[in-house]
Amino acid sequence: MAIVELKNVTYKYPLTDSPILQNINLQVNEGEFVAVVGPNGAGKSTLCYTIAGFVPHFFKGELTGTVEVAGIESQTSTLNEWVLNIGLAFQNPFNQISGAKYTVYEEIAFGLENIGVPREEMKARVEEAMKLTGISDLADRSPYSLSGGQQQRVALTSILVMQPKVLVLDEPTSQMDPIGTREVFGVIRTMAENGMTVILAEHKVEWVAQFADRVVALHEGQILLEGNPQEVLTSDLLMDNGFGISRYTSTAREAKKQGLWKKDMLPVTLDDAVEGFALTLPSPDWRGKK
Amino acid sequence: MYEARESGLHLLHPLTKAALALCLVVAGLVLPSRWTGYFLVLCVVFPLALWGKVFTPFLRSLWKVSLPLALSLFLIQSLFWGEGEILLSMGPIAFKKEGALFALVSMGRILLVMADFILFAMTTRPDTLMISMKQAGAPSGLAYIIVTTLQIVPRFQNKASTILDSQRSRGLETEGNIFVRARAFAPIVLPLVLGSLIEVEERAIAIQARGFNSNKEETSLIEIPDTKTQRLTRQALILATILSIVARIAWQLLN
Repeated sequence: MAIVELKNVTYKYPLTDSPILQNINLQVNEGEFVAVVGPNGAGKSTLCYTIAGFVPHFFKGELTGTVEVAGIESQTSTLNEWVLNIGLAFQNPFNQISGAKYTVYEEIAFGLENIGVPREEMKARVEEAMKLTGISDLADRSPYSLSGGQQQRVALTSILVMQPKVLVLDEPTSQMDPIGTREVFGVIRTMAENGMTVILAEHKVEWVAQFADRVVALHEGQILLEGNPQEVLTSDLLMDNGFGISRYTSTAREAKKQGLWKKDMLPVTLDDAVEGFALTLPSPDWRGKK
Repeated sequence: MYEARESGLHLLHPLTKAALALCLVVAGLVLPSRWTGYFLVLCVVFPLALWGKVFTPFLRSLWKVSLPLALSLFLIQSLFWGEGEILLSMGPIAFKKEGALFALVSMGRILLVMADFILFAMTTRPDTLMISMKQAGAPSGLAYIIVTTLQIVPRFQNKASTILDSQRSRGLETEGNIFVRARAFAPIVLPLVLGSLIEVEERAIAIQARGFNSNKEETSLIEIPDTKTQRLTRQALILATILSIVARIAWQLLN
């Protein structure tokens, strides 16, 4: 059953001439993990804000078409009702810290305080959420003394604790180093495994390929391609339109021209690439030693 | 600014401390003697700082903040005082007694306000202040602004020095005469202000996504101990504050 449904959505920011999103039709089913890829300026963040209700409620501007999450329509409800169904995390972890709390534990409880959860239940939920995302050991630290990856995990936990029906993540690792990226994707993996509905806008396609049930390629505000991650992420259309593609895909693509790639499908991740090249490369010695 | 200690002052309800701080400032301004400010700092704020076990850091902050102010106040008032008894003169420059006295009196009042505020900030956790303000019926937006402002200064300084360093590394001259410094002003202040505006927008989205504007009755994780004695003390302090303002206005009108 579709929990998120966008029908013919076109949106224009205030004071701009051309729409940033054009005629978007998108359905996300309950428990599905959908990744949105696209070059800078394609409208990924705007799409995230639209699903999270900040477009048009916060940014104003003109929205046509309908956005529905969990059976409620965005334009006829208020932002305050809307946000309760949706968890939103975005790029800069620093700006997602409330700035009003001293410890990670209290920071995570901030949202629950706002929606009036009783104290005992609040503590139980905070502890459970921290355990789930593996940050229990950070509980007494100041949110400002953490690394970017840790801060982003705190931000994600602060949202999870509110038990949203849909999670919208706008490039949560774009400001992370490789270690931070791995930490954050560890949390995202846990969410996916727990059957959470996730919409993730992300540049790092190798990671996307590991989690996503479906990939939506956004280009100049329109959906260019949509479907199975492997097919979408290795499609020529993406390469021709300036999308970031995985280095394994581009390597195998070159290899294919030389006749060194025998499989039909190009790889997106390291594992796929190793598996594919193992079929063609002569020496068996290195196999298994990835 | 907050200094964690285990002291009676720290354990007081934030609003009791706020009421006391307000009462002290008002007393310093409305009481008739010119030296009330110094008197209250020495006889009320200092003992409180000792009780709060923060005397050393308190004194250090107070010194750092008040010294430049005191110096400039003294120089400007004593040099530019129109007519008066000359204490010391060097060529065209003359220090006047009345100006120096005025500076001394004003400084007492300013010192009281600063000491009061520093002690309050040092012994009150901003989040407990926020919670207690909300419990007392203040709108949560206002409480949030007050609390984050208390925390934002060091972050703002950090950001300013990062911008300063990066502009310098691009060849911006920031040292030299006043014209060189004035030219450097825009390239440092503009990114700081614009960056802060973007930050504010993102933070607004982030806290709203966490139900900040929700109409539901808020709860709090931390319990703030309050007693009947403290509630009565608060009411008495606020009453005293209002009465002293009224008394001062009445006195002014009658004379």
